[in-house]
Amino acid sequence: MPTYKLHYFDMHGAAEVSRQLFILSGTPFIDSRISKEQWPLFKETTPFGHLPVLEVDGRPLPQSQAIARYLAKEFGFYGKTPFESAWVDALADQIKDFLTEMRPYFDVFVAGSDKEKARVEIAMPAISKHFPFFEKAAKDNGSNGHFVGDSLTFVDVYIADRIVTIDGMLPGFADAYPSVLAIRDKVINDPRLKEWIATRGTRRVAGEVLVDLRK
Amino acid sequence: MPFYKLSYFNGRALGEVSRQLFHLSGTPFEDERVTAKEWDDLKGTTPFGQLPVLYVDGKPLPQSFAIARYLAKEFGYAGKTAFEEAWADALADQFKDYLNEMKPFMMLVYGFGDGDKDQMKKDIALPAINKLFTILEKAAKDNGSNGHFVGDSLTWVDLLISDHIGILEAIVSNPIDSFPLVQEIRRKTSTHPKVKKWIDKRPATTF
Repeated sequence: MPTYKLHYFDMHGAAEVSRQLFILSGTPFIDSRISKEQWPLFKETTPFGHLPVLEVDGRPLPQSQAIARYLAKEFGFYGKTPFESAWVDALADQIKDFLTEMRPYFDVFVAGSDKEKARVEIAMPAISKHFPFFEKAAKDNGSNGHFVGDSLTFVDVYIADRIVTIDGMLPGFADAYPSVLAIRDKVINDPRLKEWIATRGTRRVAGEVLVDLRK
Repeated sequence: MPFYKLSYFNGRALGEVSRQLFHLSGTPFEDERVTAKEWDDLKGTTPFGQLPVLYVDGKPLPQSFAIARYLAKEFGYAGKTAFEEAWADALADQFKDYLNEMKPFMMLVYGFGDGDKDQMKKDIALPAINKLFTILEKAAKDNGSNGHFVGDSLTWVDLLISDHIGILEAIVSNPIDSFPLVQEIRRKTSTHPKVKKWIDKRPATTF
């Protein structure tokens, strides 16, 4: 088995999907968290000047979605046929487009002043544009708790984590999309993630921690 | 062989890489170009209200990179190992980040929105171009300066970047003068016989 090390800041952000793929697959990995102070120097060592970066036996791979897809393929969370895999990719890219449109709202929420204005002008339009498509995709797939096929894929993990995060800013924002919420529920209640979700809050340290939840 | 239809607007932008994959692999497909008027009726039938959409035996697949990656894998242009495939994905996503940064400038150039084109070129476009192509030049070098971004053979990311350079040259003069390895990838890719044949005969479009 290769040695995996995942570098990111000490937050969910763009890396949590990949951390959860390690946990779900029972694969040990080094959970590296880069502090604000460490970042300027560490940045120079990254391929594209940003995080996350996955190291596979020391070889770096940047870009969160490329990382998540690579791990999903390795661990079997990428659909059962090429067409299913392509739909996983399509949904992941659509979620990314949604997040890109939400970005100005996130910026205001973290550091800006008029949160309500940003909620009305940026967040609500982005949510009501994209979530009906996500709901339709979930429904067309049989409302079975998965976006694609009949088993967990990385896009299920992706939407679940983003809903959890955004729900913290806009409680109940996705209530009108029950089939999508069912996907979130299935992920956050997955027994393999239970210990990680319960203890994750205490993992707020810079530096590297070997995460090995194999029993 | 499945029946393929690629539905996009009459332009290159996000659809061209997939068209090139069909031509490169010699795979027949219906190259549907949708007018603005037709789009009004068609939009509601698409999975995400956007183009391109690939139809494989009538089953729709949206999102330009999902389409390109699917076709690249089917036809053998995705990379030779899982890690190579992942690096192609990483470079493509970095290109997409760049397109997001370029959007205000490109919209203006194509006649949408207001603004000072020269100011935007200076403040937005040139920094974004420099940032992306510095990354691409390094990637080309780290890959052995062999005329490919990933591995030792043509991948969809070579096609993606090479075609965009052509689009960029129409709106910014000499954009990649400082990036010789990227120039070489573009030269090698666009002179591949099957790619060149398509480029020479494809419809001229405004984007």
